[in-house]
Amino acid sequence: MTIAQHIVYLINADIDGEISIVEKRELEAILASDGEALAFHSELFKLCEAMDSAEAVTPPTYLKHTILEMTAAKRPRSKSPVSRHRFFSAPAIRFAGAFAAGVVLALGFLSSDMVFRNSFDDITGLVGTMTDRGADLAAKNSIYLNRSDINGSVSIYRSGQMLIVEFDLSSQVPIDIVAVFPGEDVWFNGFAQLESSGTSVAAERGRVTVHTEGKRRYAVYLHDAASTETTIDLRFIAAGNVIHEAQLVSDESI
Amino acid sequence: MSKTDDSDLVERCMNGDRQAFELLLIKYEKPVFNAAFRMLHSSEDARDVTQTVFLKVYENLDKYDPAYRFFSWIYRIAMNESINCLSKQHRAESSEVEPESVEGSLEQAISGDQLRAGLQLALMRIKPEYRVVIVLKHFLDCSYIEIGEILEISEKTVKSRLYTGRQLLKDALTQSGMN
Repeated sequence: MTIAQHIVYLINADIDGEISIVEKRELEAILASDGEALAFHSELFKLCEAMDSAEAVTPPTYLKHTILEMTAAKRPRSKSPVSRHRFFSAPAIRFAGAFAAGVVLALGFLSSDMVFRNSFDDITGLVGTMTDRGADLAAKNSIYLNRSDINGSVSIYRSGQMLIVEFDLSSQVPIDIVAVFPGEDVWFNGFAQLESSGTSVAAERGRVTVHTEGKRRYAVYLHDAASTETTIDLRFIAAGNVIHEAQLVSDESI
Repeated sequence: MSKTDDSDLVERCMNGDRQAFELLLIKYEKPVFNAAFRMLHSSEDARDVTQTVFLKVYENLDKYDPAYRFFSWIYRIAMNESINCLSKQHRAESSEVEPESVEGSLEQAISGDQLRAGLQLALMRIKPEYRVVIVLKHFLDCSYIEIGEILEISEKTVKSRLYTGRQLLKDALTQSGMN
């Protein structure tokens, strides 16, 4: 196909709607007499139309939240970094008022921002301590285990966009508990040991793994951007084998 | 894309108004992500670029010149970051096609859906300098003048790169069997 550069120019300008009246007339005359130019015009038009009508790609829902937290942390003149400000101004303050300084520090380290920025690094070992969540939140869903190797309960609470999964377990052997949740809307936002230490946690998108042994009580905090009913699948793994599976369902945020 | 509205939001941001920044984020998150995705063909990379863009915007608001449109500035950062990302990963070197024209026709029996499906892959096969112009024109709906402002090149250069880019894209589609 050999089309003069000038004609190529006119065809492109026409398709973009950036052609003058004089040029348009000139192009119409060319297309009426030049089959090759007409075919080129048709092909290029089709190509451009396909691009113009391509559906926009939607960013993940957590991205906005992550950016807001990142920018808050970067702005030294900001008096209240968003992560902390949001955390304490949320309804969760009703039960979180007694947070120990340690958990504030831990949640700072374990914020979803850091998790996302560092491509879901293993954050094993970064834990804090805190007091009880308080009695004014009722568990929305609990599961109970009564096995020889592990017994106790796991409960889920909601306060606004925060989901709290509280583990109160006693195990005879080392156990990994894998909590799987919809990673697009829900992300890990913190971990706290309530009465005992020695539990470790690792988080990645859509999944938190807790390593536990002995009598332990601890909580995993999740941010639920969509605030809809959320299902968390739990798998209890001992020596590489799944010994128990359960499901927790949160309610919708009101 | 209102210049005045954006300028107001930028000014409010600089005065510490976080809500103003959130409004800018809501307005530009999707186009920036979309442009990065078209440049990189990777949701993860697009996400990282989008984060970096907004971080840079936030940290450098005092350097923004309100004489220019805000979207020009943020899209320029987005394109530069996308190209940086490509450079780091050496994708640009391994995936380019030479700018020689290939004979062939797209006309024959290509449906719009087929074309759209092959487009992104074909887009990745052309040089970033052409891809940028095509992305700005067709995925961010910018005019020649706006593209020139964003890339700080003349309108004549915009046209030259756009027309060449389209031809290369057409050739890449033809080479990939879309004819």
